[in-house]
Amino acid sequence: MGEVILTMKGIDKSFPGVHALDHVDLEVRKGEVLALMGENGAGKSTLMKVLTGIYKKDSGSITFEGKEVEFDSPRAAQEAGIVIVHQELNMLNHLTVAQNIFIGREIMKGKIIDDARMNQESKKLFDRLNISIDPTEMMGNLTVGKQQMCEIAKAISHDAKVIVFDEPSAALTEAEIEELFKIIRDLRDKGLGIVYISHRMDEIKVITDRVTVMRDGTYVGTLITKECTKDDIINMMVGRVIYEDPKTESKVPEDAPVVLKVEHLNAGKMVQDVSFELRKGEILGFSGLMGAGRTETARALFGADAKESGDIYINGRKIEIKSPEDAVKNGIGYLSEDRKRYGIVVGKTVAENTTMASMKDFMKGIFINKKKEDEVAWEYVRSLKTKTPTVDTEVVNLSGGNQQKVVIAKWLTRNCDILIFDEPTRGIDVGAKSEIYTLMNELVAQGKSIIMISSEMTEILRMSDRIVVMCEGRKTGELDISEATQENIMHMATQRK
Amino acid sequence: MSGLWPYVQNDKISNHVLLGGRKLEKIKQNPIVKKIGFNRIILAGVLVLMYILFGVMCSVMGRASFFNISRIYSALNYTYFLGFLALGVTFVIATGGIDFSIGPVMFCSALISGYALTKMEVPLGVCLLVSILVGTLFGLLNGYLVAYWDMPSFITSMASMMLAKGIGSVFTKTQSVSWPQATEANGWYRSLVKITSGGSIIPTGLIIFIIASIICAIVLNKTKAGRYILCLGSNKEAVRLSGVDVRKWEALAYVLCGMLAGIAAIFFVGAYSTVQPGLGDTYNNEAIASCVMGGTSMAGGVASIGGTFIGVLIISLLQEGILAMGFQKDFQYVITGIIVLVAVYIDNRSRKRKN
Repeated sequence: MGEVILTMKGIDKSFPGVHALDHVDLEVRKGEVLALMGENGAGKSTLMKVLTGIYKKDSGSITFEGKEVEFDSPRAAQEAGIVIVHQELNMLNHLTVAQNIFIGREIMKGKIIDDARMNQESKKLFDRLNISIDPTEMMGNLTVGKQQMCEIAKAISHDAKVIVFDEPSAALTEAEIEELFKIIRDLRDKGLGIVYISHRMDEIKVITDRVTVMRDGTYVGTLITKECTKDDIINMMVGRVIYEDPKTESKVPEDAPVVLKVEHLNAGKMVQDVSFELRKGEILGFSGLMGAGRTETARALFGADAKESGDIYINGRKIEIKSPEDAVKNGIGYLSEDRKRYGIVVGKTVAENTTMASMKDFMKGIFINKKKEDEVAWEYVRSLKTKTPTVDTEVVNLSGGNQQKVVIAKWLTRNCDILIFDEPTRGIDVGAKSEIYTLMNELVAQGKSIIMISSEMTEILRMSDRIVVMCEGRKTGELDISEATQENIMHMATQRK
Repeated sequence: MSGLWPYVQNDKISNHVLLGGRKLEKIKQNPIVKKIGFNRIILAGVLVLMYILFGVMCSVMGRASFFNISRIYSALNYTYFLGFLALGVTFVIATGGIDFSIGPVMFCSALISGYALTKMEVPLGVCLLVSILVGTLFGLLNGYLVAYWDMPSFITSMASMMLAKGIGSVFTKTQSVSWPQATEANGWYRSLVKITSGGSIIPTGLIIFIIASIICAIVLNKTKAGRYILCLGSNKEAVRLSGVDVRKWEALAYVLCGMLAGIAAIFFVGAYSTVQPGLGDTYNNEAIASCVMGGTSMAGGVASIGGTFIGVLIISLLQEGILAMGFQKDFQYVITGIIVLVAVYIDNRSRKRKN
């Protein structure tokens, strides 16, 4: 391990209502691989965005190669020698490999692009990395793994000194990961500083030299990988005090009937053989890390995406769900994690959104009964304490929490018995958050059943009666709330096949 | 409910955007103005202004007076068929789609039914129904492909435009078709457009067009179909995830549009008698221009039948005025083009502000 090449010190960054980074430190040395770990929302990505100039820091300093720097764009960071290889690749599929690598700084021969030279230069890059990719191949024809190699080659071509890998292995096969590690080790041995962001414990042990752990926007500590165990890292990741009292025991009566049973649900890579039961009056938490397949499971169950196989029973009766229409007819309502895209029609009014799913109850002959519609909408505005001047206000003017309430009103108007809350409090401020929690508790007390997908551990432990944990499209465990701890959930959530 | 202006109308932001400032704001908050829609009042103002302008221009240029009732009747002839096309395409644009086939579909309807009437001696009543049916079938084709097969409406309707031109042409063996005059046998359909008795003329077409507009406005604003069409135009996925069969309602918009194009055909021949195969595309543009002018957003989700109504009147007056001044139709295209650009610009800006 060599000298320090990059130091971030006391980095602070706030967004309206969120203190995303609270005086975070990070140190990268030449010739090492540093793991950056933390739960969803711990602030890893934000920190990297501050580093590469996507976000401007509020305070703190970044020292790179002995000089204090502040980049105002990823491009400036790139030119200085700091490059991010993103999980989602920014490649143009209909261009060749070489054209992609040199995009934005094409090699010219007079006024004409010199493809031949770009191919030669790309070849040289690949040779340096010991990988065999034909620079004239179309990017779209390569596997995800190979595309990532190209991304790395592109980073090298910028003469990078620090490369940040943001969850690089998420989409790769075992063999591809092996190859990726070979390249990373190679780069390390050439003296580059590598930051490796991943959730996968096993990989961290294999590839990294040190581990820096973040939690809730703060710096927790740094360990030498060789000297620590998986449990040490997990404890650092989750070791927060849960200030909102967690539920200690299930509030569901012993004899509560099963209202929903899902058996062997399969839908693509993200939903593999998922089975679970939901009982009347229960909040069933779905926990897991980003990309665990929880939303995909909910969407397949709801008929939003096609499923390959699997049986769904409601109140013991087998039903066919081929579209959201079928699901809604069977009393299932889905509150998406992405409200603006999937939950509400922003350009329409509170009343219109409220009755969206139950139009047929608001008809007087062929006409819409506007009076009844407004009455019902007002009713829910009052009972859910939605802050809106009138029910004819377009929902675009409402805050996140109030928009969420409008979506809830939509499903309550429809009188759904099973509600799927996907990240119910994402992007909602603290006050509205506890209102949503209260509301969910009231709903189950009334005999409705809730599936709650959440990436917030505190939320899972506070609300759920039972917890299903998923990892990479599979269900890796199920816990009663009385036996659930942050540690055993995290263990299940990182249990790779 | 309606186009570009409501944003301006009820948003606080509008204060520093629109010219007049506080005074204008006060006018816009007036309940009567709010009810009618500020944009429609402005648009109606533009219409009146244009009429006066053409009158003045005609007298300055020493041409026959524009303030002549026959001018108005002539302009109205153009209004009817264009009006039905524009009403129909308003529904499609409300879904966020577009239909470029309406003009040629109208001609195809008129050709097939006219050929049946004049060459195959099919009764007139049946022919009129055939005309509506042909339009409806094209609407069904467009709607099915767009809604159920997820084909882009732009290219789908372009293809069916060519189909309509080709089929109409093949059916009549590339002959033009002349529908009978009012005085001839089978000429009674012309009383749908106007009834001449003695010296006076009753513009029945105008009455029918107004009734049709009112029905369309009710369908768009007061029925389930209209509600879902507007909502899915705004955010189709959210509506689908509410358990609504969005494909059905999206397809319906195209079917309505096709049906209205079939009705437009009757009013076209009722005014102009002769239809030639292989034409009709210019009317698409004029119909779409009317909608956009009236405040229907090309992004979908926002539509105004009242706006479309006035938009159609403006386009008709424009083409009559240009002719009256002795210019070629090309000038009309130039002016229409400019108007559409301005309307789209305003729509875009108000949407950006909103986000």
